Amino acid sequence: MKSKLSWLITPLLALFMSFSYGQGKTISGNVTDQNGLPLPGVSIVVVGTNNGTQTDFDGNFALTASVGQTLRFTYLGQKTENRVVGASNTINVQMEEDAETLDEVVVQGYRTATKETSSIASSTVSSETIVNRPNASVVQTLSGQVAGLNITAASGQPGAAPRVTLRGVGSINGNTDPLYVIDGIPVDAQAFRSLGNNDIESISVLKDAGATAIYGNRGANGVVVIKTRNGSFNQKLSISYSGLLQFTSLVDNGEYELNNSQEQLLLEREFGNGRGVGLTDAEIAGFTTTDYPNFFFDTGLTQQHTVNLSSGSENATQFTSLGFRDEEGILSASSLQRFNYRTNVTGRTSDDKFSYGANLAVNYSQSDEPNAIGTGGINRNIVLAAFQSVPYISPDEYTNGAALLSPLSFANTPLFIIDLLNTFSREENELQILGSFNADYKLYKDLTARVVLSGEFRDQIRTTVEGPTSFNALLFAGGRDPSGFQTQSIDRQFTYNQVTSLNYNKTFGKHTIDGGAYVEYFRGFFQNFGFQQFGLTPALLSPGDGDAFIADNPNDDLFVDTVFANRLETGLFSYFFQGDWDYDTRFGVTGTIRRDASFRFAESNRFGTFGSVSGRWNIDKESWFDDNAFDVLKLRGSWGVTGNQNIAITAPAGLAFDAPDLTRDLFTTGVGQGGANSLFLNQIGNNTLRWEATEQIDIGVDFEVFQSKLRGSVDVYQRTTTDLFLASPVSSINAVTQLNTNTGEIENRGVDLTLNYDILRSNKAGGLNLTLNFVGNFNEQEVIDLPTDDGRLLLGGGIALEEGGRLSEYFLVRYAGVNPANGNLLFLTADGEVTENPNVDTDRVFLGKNLTPDFQGSFGFDFSYKGWFATTQWNYVIGVDRIDNDLAGFLNPNNIGQFRTSRDLERAFTPDNRITDIPSLTAQNLALSGNSDRFLQSADFLRLRFATIGYDFPSQFLEGTGISNLRIFAQGENILTFTPWRGFDPEVINTFNPAQSRLFPTPRVFAFGLEVGF
Amino acid sequence: MKNLQKLTLFASLIVVLWSCNDAIDIEQPGRLGAEQAFQSVADLQLGLLGSYATLDATPQIQFNSVFTDELSIGFDSGGQGIGNGEYGFILNPGSAASTAQWTNFYASLNSFNRLIEAAALITPADADEQAQLNEILGQVHGLRAYINLLIVTYFSTDYTDDGALAGILIDFVPTVDQLLPRSTNGEFYSLIEADLNLAQSLLTTQSDPIVVSQDFITFMRLRMAIFRQQYPAADALAQQLIPRYPLANRAQYQGIFTDADNTGIIFEMQRVLNDRYDGQGATGSGFAGGWAGANYAFVNGTIDGSPYFEIGRSLFDLLDPADIRFDVNVNNTSIISPDINAAEDFRSEDILVVGKYPGDPASQPLLNDLKIFRAAELVLYRAEAAAAAGNINGAANSTAAFLKELRDARFGTDQPLPMFANATEAFGAILDERRIEFAFEGYRWVDLKRMGERGGRGILREALDCAINGACSLPATDFRFTLPVPIVETNANPDIQQNPGF
Repeated sequence: MKSKLSWLITPLLALFMSFSYGQGKTISGNVTDQNGLPLPGVSIVVVGTNNGTQTDFDGNFALTASVGQTLRFTYLGQKTENRVVGASNTINVQMEEDAETLDEVVVQGYRTATKETSSIASSTVSSETIVNRPNASVVQTLSGQVAGLNITAASGQPGAAPRVTLRGVGSINGNTDPLYVIDGIPVDAQAFRSLGNNDIESISVLKDAGATAIYGNRGANGVVVIKTRNGSFNQKLSISYSGLLQFTSLVDNGEYELNNSQEQLLLEREFGNGRGVGLTDAEIAGFTTTDYPNFFFDTGLTQQHTVNLSSGSENATQFTSLGFRDEEGILSASSLQRFNYRTNVTGRTSDDKFSYGANLAVNYSQSDEPNAIGTGGINRNIVLAAFQSVPYISPDEYTNGAALLSPLSFANTPLFIIDLLNTFSREENELQILGSFNADYKLYKDLTARVVLSGEFRDQIRTTVEGPTSFNALLFAGGRDPSGFQTQSIDRQFTYNQVTSLNYNKTFGKHTIDGGAYVEYFRGFFQNFGFQQFGLTPALLSPGDGDAFIADNPNDDLFVDTVFANRLETGLFSYFFQGDWDYDTRFGVTGTIRRDASFRFAESNRFGTFGSVSGRWNIDKESWFDDNAFDVLKLRGSWGVTGNQNIAITAPAGLAFDAPDLTRDLFTTGVGQGGANSLFLNQIGNNTLRWEATEQIDIGVDFEVFQSKLRGSVDVYQRTTTDLFLASPVSSINAVTQLNTNTGEIENRGVDLTLNYDILRSNKAGGLNLTLNFVGNFNEQEVIDLPTDDGRLLLGGGIALEEGGRLSEYFLVRYAGVNPANGNLLFLTADGEVTENPNVDTDRVFLGKNLTPDFQGSFGFDFSYKGWFATTQWNYVIGVDRIDNDLAGFLNPNNIGQFRTSRDLERAFTPDNRITDIPSLTAQNLALSGNSDRFLQSADFLRLRFATIGYDFPSQFLEGTGISNLRIFAQGENILTFTPWRGFDPEVINTFNPAQSRLFPTPRVFAFGLEVGF
Repeated sequence: MKNLQKLTLFASLIVVLWSCNDAIDIEQPGRLGAEQAFQSVADLQLGLLGSYATLDATPQIQFNSVFTDELSIGFDSGGQGIGNGEYGFILNPGSAASTAQWTNFYASLNSFNRLIEAAALITPADADEQAQLNEILGQVHGLRAYINLLIVTYFSTDYTDDGALAGILIDFVPTVDQLLPRSTNGEFYSLIEADLNLAQSLLTTQSDPIVVSQDFITFMRLRMAIFRQQYPAADALAQQLIPRYPLANRAQYQGIFTDADNTGIIFEMQRVLNDRYDGQGATGSGFAGGWAGANYAFVNGTIDGSPYFEIGRSLFDLLDPADIRFDVNVNNTSIISPDINAAEDFRSEDILVVGKYPGDPASQPLLNDLKIFRAAELVLYRAEAAAAAGNINGAANSTAAFLKELRDARFGTDQPLPMFANATEAFGAILDERRIEFAFEGYRWVDLKRMGERGGRGILREALDCAINGACSLPATDFRFTLPVPIVETNANPDIQQNPGF
């Protein structure tokens, strides 16, 4: 603290002194680091002047200064040193490592603290583990890296937003995504498709209430703070290039034992349905088997190039980055191309009173994104065709869409989809501009005024074209000739966020006080408009272009276009205070209080109050705590209340705009009888609407033992969410059967554990280093209170809530195997009696299983030796159960003749095969299997999520080449998976419709990369 | 001093922001609050059009088809009807059929009651507006009677028992916390009667197939009398309407189902391009809600339209190719197996495509008006009244005579006069005739419910049609001839009385 104070005072002194002394002389000297080695490139300035120099390769310098002037020595990663010029002409300086910069700075939301003085639970992921990871979305990269952060892939589509939950699931209908803040800009999970990964310096995940309460009613699900890179002061221009070439492919984990053509045709013949009926053995033997999974999924090629330029002078820095990524998805017609540009600049006055930073990123992406994934649309879902197509129909049978119209047979699914690939396109273009500006001004030596202005602009154009000659267009043409359609939908949103604050920081003896008063203002504007045009002239067809449009003829009105437009606005206003007291870095207490107003609750609960208290005890700083293995031991605790204002997901626009006026009873106009305009009720308001409130208690320990070889932290937490926004049933006489109200309570309890252990640690460059990592979370949930009388709430899809039970628990009839007497399915009644005809309502029971993992995290190692380095990361997830509806389809006798089935059906019950696990193909109660847990399977997995191996060329190899560093590496993702799940990917799930099958699996990735610095 | 000024400036900036309410008090563009919705008679007229648009018979059509013996599983089935068990007679409080009817009926009633309450607050400016208001109110009360009779139809165990429970009687706009018990049929019949009386006093239109007219009101009285087995009254009401609604001839009959002709239509739900129901709806589900024909096929009403449900063989076997109803019900692209029991692959060798909802192949296939009250029912109601009065045989005013009258019109030739040994046979013949006449129009389950026992009929499927799940027959006395109160209601209203058997 002492040096910091003098650093603050110096400018004033220097200004004053410089009038007294005018005589310059040459000062020379040598600068070394803490180990006594010469430090080249140290910047030295005469404070208050433009006079300065840098040390040479041997750490020597010389410059002119006057007695009484101050020389300031700065070097990245070292503490800044000041020396007053005295009588001597020589000044030698030994610099010290700066713990504050090397020991990571801990982001506290609106301020930072050192690791020692931080009292919050958070994890920071640095750029090294983000840069050049072969994922388009940086959020996907976080998977397994942060204890308590559960990331579930929603799709293998390049850049798709995964679902992220922190420390269990804190909401049922509301949004569970954490708040993302990029350089002060609050954004949603959709913002990452276009964002370049290599610009990111660090990602901090704020977990406990002590950390997130300052985000008020946006903080309940945790906060992810992302900082992008900046240049350093007094740094020469450095240019670096990194390139990545990657190959993605389908993880062929499908253990469904799917029939080949002969098996499928024989089964059809036997069952009496499909092409196999009436064929001879010889005819059946003549069919070839088409491997449709590998027909519709293919190896994708991806290239990525990034160029970074960073530099800094005495009072300004800049970081510029250009990026390009071109990714082919593994699924036909899926791809992502993006272009990124970013410039971050910072500047300061030479007296350091005023400093500012400005960040601007312009990102443009274009993606092909197949839709209808997950649906049963045999004419729309490419994944369905890949998995379910009968193998005996050859792609060569395809001629054109018209030929598929008659006879219209479901078995032609692969041909429908081949036609779709030829005639349908769905493209999304997105322009994203992220900009922020921050400025600090020291009003007094202890008082700083600060402002952060930031905004995000996103413009998305989605163009869908169904060609007029396509099977689908002809099928649904009605009287239209030509048919086909083009839909274009343009979304444009702009959000603006402003934080103005006054911060006070003062040290009195051993006490340090840091306090801030803040005002935050957020405003967002969303606009959507578009059209759907039916009828396209084939010769003129081009997606996004209107020349092919056929005008409506008023005589038949076959080509009436649909137009649509929507506008929404959003806003938040908050003021808050944070105070932090530190005593001798031994004790510290932080308190936060925030008053938050959301436009969403303007008519019901205008302002909410949130807050937290957190404290720490740095036990290792106690004098009595010497002479033991602990290098660091810190005990932390926090309590606080945060809110979740994103209580419902209603609009396609995105979170900020969802549920804009649920407090109101609304009417709207629309098509009425006979197509005439009409007026009707479309919303019943809830005038008691409020945010969901989460109270969280966290107790944690951070420790480092055995010369810091073993480092880690443990946190125990309990999160209680009350005023849960749940669908409360209302009588149908209200024209609706449920109204969402703030009622209900759930709790998540668990433990976060992070451990790093250096098995081998070398002090020398190029020495052998081997570190083991472990990240783990255990979480259990409990439903405490529900709005119904019987303490149960059905959520649909075989999922329900029960007080005392787990969240979104499976509530199904238990399947009990096959009746050896007749091949029918057996079930258990609620009382556990075996029956063929359970009551699908009253015989359902809670199964104690759900989709949320009990344990999840990762482990792996980091290795380096003489320029070689290797990293592995194994992710594990335990306690996830899913209904495998892909399997249900492969075992469904009703699919025989239309879709591919599994060899498992060979085991089906027959009078000669009575003891089996597969019911008779003509079982009379097969329909009930869908109400049971027959296909409920464990989706636990252990997966080699990431591995890399690479080599840094030593600098002596590079001398004279103009290259300052060179690195090559190879890496892989999803390399190996161990799971009882029989499907293609245990990880991909539609959390909004968990029983959905035919999803787009995440790929296996192999990548090769190169980094060059100049 | 200078710093102090800056501080003051900064502080005032904070104060300015403090008072910034524009971020919170946001009125979203394009919103119409409930209190501003109805301010004039013209607004009420728009509301009336919205109320009509709440009417949808497709869930009834779907349920009456798939749950009875009208259908079999089509060759392009993707599991429709099987997956949810409807085709296997699985009916429970979670079933789509009961949920769809209950919630649709009450959504309509809510819309009507809002209109009625809003109308009470509007003072017409002149006599013209008063007349318009009367017309609106007459129609809404008529619609309310229609929906209330449907609630009795689907949720009451016994139409003839005034003490049996129907649904929740609601003639006001409820608040969200209101939980009401079920009322009896008697109470429902009283409200229906009162609504019909009021409508009759307000309406000026005698006949119009797409809106509530005086004839609509009379037909409602007739149907209610039939359901309550008040046959003499019913017969008199039928006779009032018959002169104005003659039976269609064969060409007209075909035209009715292509929407080219309105002969004999007393009321229908109009369906046009781009309206709320112009879409596929929920295929294979009791929620339906789209094109009527999408209850049977995905694309169009021919063999290439992906029929996922086909005509049940037991119904098909009742159809005579000389009967125009054969042409209407069986699409001419159907593949008819000469001997289904000899077929190697029954599903693909016998494809009986439902032809009743072809839509307009030149515009929108499967989209047709939903015929609600037709003239044929007047004749069949008379046949029923005659059977109830014991007049089963004879050349005039007998069950036999009325059936012959209808068959003559449908065949276009003189048909033999049937002879019945007893009333059961007569009721059975009426049921069989209704099965043909109203196939796929949402009648079968209701007819079996109220007359099956008297006519000795129940659900009976062809053996090959039910080989898939063994659900071949169900007697009309089964408890599943009343819908359960759905879970969505009991969740909110746990004290509401459930129907027996569920």
